[in-house]
Amino acid sequence: MSVVWRSFLQMLRLIRRDRMLLAAGAAPLLAGVALRCGVPAAEEVLVRCTGTALSPYYGLFDILLASLTPAMFCFIAAMVMLEERDDHIDRYLFATACGRNGYYVSRIVLPALAAFSVTALLLPVFHLSALLAGAVLCLSLTGALQGVIVALLVVALSANKLEGMAVTKLSSLIILGALVPWFVPAPLCFGLSFLPSFWMGKAMLESRLTYFLPSFAAAVGWIAALWRRIQRGCRFLDRKSDLENSKIPIDPDAASSCILCPCLNKRKHKEVLR
Amino acid sequence: MIQVSHLSFSYTANPIIQDMSFSVDKGEIFGFLGPSGAGKSTLQRILLGMLPHYQGSVRVNGVECKHHGADFYASIGVDFEFSTLYEKLSARENLQFFSSLYRRQARSIPELLAMVGLENDADKRVSAYSKGMKSRLNFVKALLHDPALLFLDEPTSGLDPTNSRLMKDMILEEKRRGKTILLTTHNMQDAAELCDRVAFIVGGRIFALDSPHSLIMSRGAAQVTYTWFDEGERTASCPMDRLSEDARLQTLVAQNRLRSIHSSEPTLNDIFLEITGRTLV
Repeated sequence: MSVVWRSFLQMLRLIRRDRMLLAAGAAPLLAGVALRCGVPAAEEVLVRCTGTALSPYYGLFDILLASLTPAMFCFIAAMVMLEERDDHIDRYLFATACGRNGYYVSRIVLPALAAFSVTALLLPVFHLSALLAGAVLCLSLTGALQGVIVALLVVALSANKLEGMAVTKLSSLIILGALVPWFVPAPLCFGLSFLPSFWMGKAMLESRLTYFLPSFAAAVGWIAALWRRIQRGCRFLDRKSDLENSKIPIDPDAASSCILCPCLNKRKHKEVLR
Repeated sequence: MIQVSHLSFSYTANPIIQDMSFSVDKGEIFGFLGPSGAGKSTLQRILLGMLPHYQGSVRVNGVECKHHGADFYASIGVDFEFSTLYEKLSARENLQFFSSLYRRQARSIPELLAMVGLENDADKRVSAYSKGMKSRLNFVKALLHDPALLFLDEPTSGLDPTNSRLMKDMILEEKRRGKTILLTTHNMQDAAELCDRVAFIVGGRIFALDSPHSLIMSRGAAQVTYTWFDEGERTASCPMDRLSEDARLQTLVAQNRLRSIHSSEPTLNDIFLEITGRTLV
């Protein structure tokens, strides 16, 4: 058994001891049942009362289900990572046979693969629109990539579990991009084309799998940018402690004073150094 | 075991480490001494392969740190200054997980727990441990795979005298087992007691590198201070190695007129202050 796999199993052990994380893990199944049984029932009532049908929007509900499982799985992984950061365990693991890359594979890549598999199993059971195997796989893959984005956003932007919960709620909003092609006319809707979910929505609306290609591309772009930011963040922590310790004079007001890194977080870095 | 040659490192134009060269032999306890911000932790991170963008050469176990592979950490154990334990798990569960990360399962967990007196608390959650207990557990965590090289960062920091003594005895025991130990500290007493050689680091440079004894002796012999009564209390001192030349002392001894006499050896802290112009505290 590889070190990365053992590190992944350790994460599962930690999840087993946390009821909130366990509940989050069960949420996709509950949501699947609720959508499959609840939406048609609600539609009957709506048609009777207002004459409005929900069936034209079944594709949107399937996107929601495809996004929910990875979002929950990756949220759980992000919470574990933040707890390990609080306890300095991530840094220790970097100096073991697991290493930095092995750690991130066990905490982000493997949960995303698990999310992909679970989504691919749940969608054929709980889908509402007519989904072929190709669409199920594409939705599962894009959903898993979105889950990775959520996990990376949480790790990159939050310092502890409390902040992580808030960032998770915010970052889950990237799923809302799927609504745009359905309700916002072109070319205005393309303003949100940088979101993978936008292309998921477009693919389901127009029943064209080729729209998943820009969705994958957008997701990979997000992941690459966030990974770079996390790498910089790690170096920032190293630099911060070294620079604070070494008492190198830093002018926080100078235009080029963010000597830590050329990232988006200049103001925050300056505040830290103040 | 470790060869460092012309090592320099910086994040910016201001160097954190400047042209360091030293080597550490197998079975040696080597201490990095310096005030906060001296570059000790950065040096430790470079030796651990965590900061690859350095100039010069740093070889640990024959491997250039910036090019280390997956096996690099199999022979390295690290005990950071802060606790790196899962607080919600018991000591035994922590050790079981961390030992599972290594192919080599050289030391048994019950034996290690008994070694640090935690065998009766092995199934207690770490969050219920005292600081001393966490430090001891953190230390044995680094020994699970019986590494040849140990990095210890401030191992006695914040410990009471009893736990500090216990920790130092464990470190010396690991030396007797043949381990090479790199100790980062600003506690001169620990360094003098534990280290075979120490490097004084200030501003990213090594100011002196030798055994604590040699460094202390380089300042000269200890001073002997004595007092006697002669129309009021008088005090005088002379170097230990020139006692026979002090006629007054001999007279006072012959006449049994000495009120007190004691020797005072320079400490490693005095030597550090003299060489670097800085204090550690």
